Amino acid sequence: MSFPLLVFQGLFRIRRVITFTLLIGFTGISMLTNAQQKIIFGKGNTTNVLVSSSSSSASNQTAPKTLMSSGYLPNKNAAARLLSQATLGTTYGEIENVATIGIEKWVEQQLAMPNSFKITNYLQNLHQSIVDSVKRTDPTRTLSNVFLSDWHFDISWFQGSMTAADILRWRVALGLSEIFVTSRVSAFADNPYALASYYDVLLDNSFTNYRTLIEKITYHPSMAVYLTFMNNHATDFNNGKQTYPDENYAREVMQLFSIGLFQLNIDGTEKKDANGKSIPTYNNNDIANLAKVFTGLSWGDSKYIGDRSKDYWSYTKKLKFYAIDSSDVYIRWWVTNPNNWRIVNAHEVGVKTFLGKTIPARSVEQGELDIKDALDIIFNHPNVGPFMARRLIQRLVTSNPSPAFIQRVATVFNNNGSGVRGDLKAVIRTILTDPEARDCCNNGNTQFSGMLKEPFLRYMNLVKGLNLTSATNVFRNSMRRAYEKTGQIPMYSPSVFNFFSPDYTPDGALKGTGKYGPEFQTLNSQTLTGYMNALNTWLINDDPMEYYGYFGGETYKPEQEPKFNLTADYALVRNDRLTQLLDKYNLILAHGRLSKKNLDFIKKAISGIPLSITNGVPDSDDAFRRVRIAIYLIMSCPDYLINN
Amino acid sequence: MNRRDFLKHSGCAAMGTTTLLSTLTSLGAVNGAMSHKKFSSKEAVVAEDYKALVCVLLAGGIDSYNVLIPNGTADNGYSEYAATRSDLSIAQASLLSLNNPQCTGFRNIPCNYGSFGIHPAMTGMRDLFNSGKLAFMANIGTLVEPIMNASEFNNGLKKIPDGIYSHSDQIMQWQTSVPQSRSALGVGGRIADLLNAGNVNNQISMNISLAGKNIFQTGENIAEYSISNNVNPNNVGLDVLPTWWSDSGLMNDLRNTSVDSMVGQTYTNSLKETYSGTAKGAIASFDIFKEALKRVPSLATQFPNTSLGNDLAAIAKVISVRGNLGAKRQIFFVTYGGWDMHDGLATGLNQRLPVVSGALKAFYDATVELGIADKVTTFTISDFARTITSNGLGSDHAWGGNSMVIGGSVKGGKIYGAFPRMDLNNSPQNISFRGNFIPAVSTDELYAEMALWYGVSPTDLCYVLPNLGNFYSYTPGNYPIGFMNFNGTSISTDDKPQSCLTY
Repeated sequence: MSFPLLVFQGLFRIRRVITFTLLIGFTGISMLTNAQQKIIFGKGNTTNVLVSSSSSSASNQTAPKTLMSSGYLPNKNAAARLLSQATLGTTYGEIENVATIGIEKWVEQQLAMPNSFKITNYLQNLHQSIVDSVKRTDPTRTLSNVFLSDWHFDISWFQGSMTAADILRWRVALGLSEIFVTSRVSAFADNPYALASYYDVLLDNSFTNYRTLIEKITYHPSMAVYLTFMNNHATDFNNGKQTYPDENYAREVMQLFSIGLFQLNIDGTEKKDANGKSIPTYNNNDIANLAKVFTGLSWGDSKYIGDRSKDYWSYTKKLKFYAIDSSDVYIRWWVTNPNNWRIVNAHEVGVKTFLGKTIPARSVEQGELDIKDALDIIFNHPNVGPFMARRLIQRLVTSNPSPAFIQRVATVFNNNGSGVRGDLKAVIRTILTDPEARDCCNNGNTQFSGMLKEPFLRYMNLVKGLNLTSATNVFRNSMRRAYEKTGQIPMYSPSVFNFFSPDYTPDGALKGTGKYGPEFQTLNSQTLTGYMNALNTWLINDDPMEYYGYFGGETYKPEQEPKFNLTADYALVRNDRLTQLLDKYNLILAHGRLSKKNLDFIKKAISGIPLSITNGVPDSDDAFRRVRIAIYLIMSCPDYLINN
Repeated sequence: MNRRDFLKHSGCAAMGTTTLLSTLTSLGAVNGAMSHKKFSSKEAVVAEDYKALVCVLLAGGIDSYNVLIPNGTADNGYSEYAATRSDLSIAQASLLSLNNPQCTGFRNIPCNYGSFGIHPAMTGMRDLFNSGKLAFMANIGTLVEPIMNASEFNNGLKKIPDGIYSHSDQIMQWQTSVPQSRSALGVGGRIADLLNAGNVNNQISMNISLAGKNIFQTGENIAEYSISNNVNPNNVGLDVLPTWWSDSGLMNDLRNTSVDSMVGQTYTNSLKETYSGTAKGAIASFDIFKEALKRVPSLATQFPNTSLGNDLAAIAKVISVRGNLGAKRQIFFVTYGGWDMHDGLATGLNQRLPVVSGALKAFYDATVELGIADKVTTFTISDFARTITSNGLGSDHAWGGNSMVIGGSVKGGKIYGAFPRMDLNNSPQNISFRGNFIPAVSTDELYAEMALWYGVSPTDLCYVLPNLGNFYSYTPGNYPIGFMNFNGTSISTDDKPQSCLTY
């Protein structure tokens, strides 16, 4: 029996379509008690729907049967729900698109798209255009003496996020930037190229292989500066002063980027020893050994190890490996007798043992192979699959994936079906199409489903959902308010531990349950009002972005600072049409998750806002207030803030 | 009646109808009196039962062996230091001398040196030390039980903290003082669990944070109240709708009622319930906090315009209106990060230590100005100390290090604990070729002493510090370390119903 590709909504529709009588049993409390919810077949909801044949003519049917999940189209709520997990924020048009082509096809289309926007290129062009402008009055100005700030990165990032068609990649890359953390809270605070180039690595490799990604990151100057292995040197005894390799990257690459502190089963649970204690993955000797591996790397445009960065673009060039430290030749260039120069190994030679594996002794000239070996050892550690699975699921779908969900994703990480380990495309596909991600109600257990939307995503939900549009398709948005009020914009983590920890459990209902709520680490009495007051500014004060002048005397370009245009909604502000208004934004922003009760609270507030109507047309000032306060309230509702 | 309604109506309500109302009313009176008396009447201040702890987290792992430095010649202190620290060592001539620091050792572990200096950028700390208001804890860190030397560390019989050298573990364990667990509550949170009821107004948490969510202030029943360092009544609560809108007042009410209703629901989803609970708590606190902030007096003490300076200035302002807030006990938490100096250590310390020194000195001065210096105890914590050896202009993660405790009730001008031998080949506490020291003093002992001073009964210490019994048991006159002055402080006999915690 094949089902036609239709959107099935509820019992009656099913009965009409299917030729013989079906008894359909529903479980799942929230579906039945919530009038706003609809029963959806297809990738929005596949479980808890039991199909039993009761037709006497179908004697060869053995009941019950369960509906298969593939081949159905989602309704708009289900489409919007996928987009809430797979994009930074969605538009009504994209929801219709997913509802039309189906979830699997949409995901495949997105995974197949090339990276369409290089932040570094946009930044460079922006930089050049600023130079060209200021050159008119000062011919001496060049790329090298027109200075930028980190805000130029933010503007470039926002431009890409608003215009790139590969929207799944942009969501995944944001997640990666919160796992493989570097940040402007660092030595490259003022260098937008350092931020852009690193973020481009994440965008470029969102759908490649983990092994590729971890190598690109290891060789990226921003990471090398951030975790201080730039110019990291072999153990050295110089004039009685002893120094040892820097241990920073060795520790964090294992703790945060690959395997974590404790040995894991494939389902992400911790292995236990005979005493029931978790088993550490490594000890300090492993760290000291791995630290020796990451020695000998310097700037891509350096002359010797120990050289300093030359300019903005030093941060865009892959690190260069130095087996030998010949810095003395450059630093003490006046020395005439070559024997007086101090030439030592830059890379540490000798056997290195860590994670129970050994990197063989080899000549210092071949030392770079140590790095390859070390990354292979890390990559092949059995923890990486469950470790990355849990982190990526947490970034996209839910704070508390079941062990079975983690295991399904980790299994694909370990082998994509074609014998390839670390295939991120397969991993992302598996996460987004997994029953636990697609089933709206986590097998009926809604108690711990979903995640708190991190503050920055709420901002992106707003600008995407309300269709912020620029006439020239150029946005000049430094996103300052999002950072200042909520403490989060990309590449601004306070430390390598991200804005929040994957293992954070907040006060309140989750305490003592063994469950996590990472994003709650950002939530306190300050940021709670900070967010709502930012909403107040963005929506009610009609100031959705923060324009940034590029140079003194520049003409203001209002088209680069667009406002929301919600006049199309004004017809919906009449009391008799408020339901339509709320349903619309409930769909776009919250994939229809607001409860009827909460919608009623909002409706009560909005219908109390004075509205004068002339010839059936609402006054535009009144309508402005009604629409915007309605969206403010939807975005203040726990049903919106928890994405489940 | 929700908080907002309550405050709206409280002005005309009859006195004494609710506990909270009478509290607020009388507090207003008390505070009014205090704001006049605080500089003039000593009696009013002495009679006041108020104490505060201020936890300053130097996040990232401060290289505290370049903060407190042996500078003796006769005992080879400086030469051993300089030889081991190599390119990280600070010139002897530049060190700020501490007068007769009397470092005596701890738990039969000797304090190896007799003469100490501190980093040249910390003049404020030098002055506080030499005037007896600042004490150092030497080689303090996370411990489950005492570990006397490297062989005890290596023999496998002693419990070792989970994830030693890991930032996330150690920064957590310094805040929980339970190094064998990753799910323990915070020390300040557990203290507040016991004593929060003693504050006359519980609407504002005993625990106030300048650093948002943190483990230190998280208890079983207590969450932090987060504030911004811009202490201004206009910064508290929800922005109002544009005042030029006609009916904006009505619309504010409609909006607020709607928000209150939505967060006032019960949610079966625990994440939604967590969000709404946080929102409810925060909204309930805004009006009281806002009103209190309107009473902040102007302080003569000048704070440096740094993040830590501004944070500590904000704490001083909140303390100044403790009466309006109904607080007899308060625990503050502030973070100043950037100490993970794997590289650029000398420059980094030269930039950051003056910030610490200047801000802490100003904060102490402000407590003097407010007449409550002996009621406020400030202490520094960090993830861990750093390797004594260099990685080339930087140092890596280690373990036991040096902390500061400051206040009018601190028996300052002394170094408590046991400063480790810098000659790594002859240093029984050293456990690595890089120079990592087993702590001589446990975080439990530091916190226990302050908890007793703050008003935790000796019986209740096992709720606050589950491992304390491995280090210390109370007898009258016998304190864990001895750095607090208990004159005028009576040890609490008010045992709370909470039972000891075990992990």
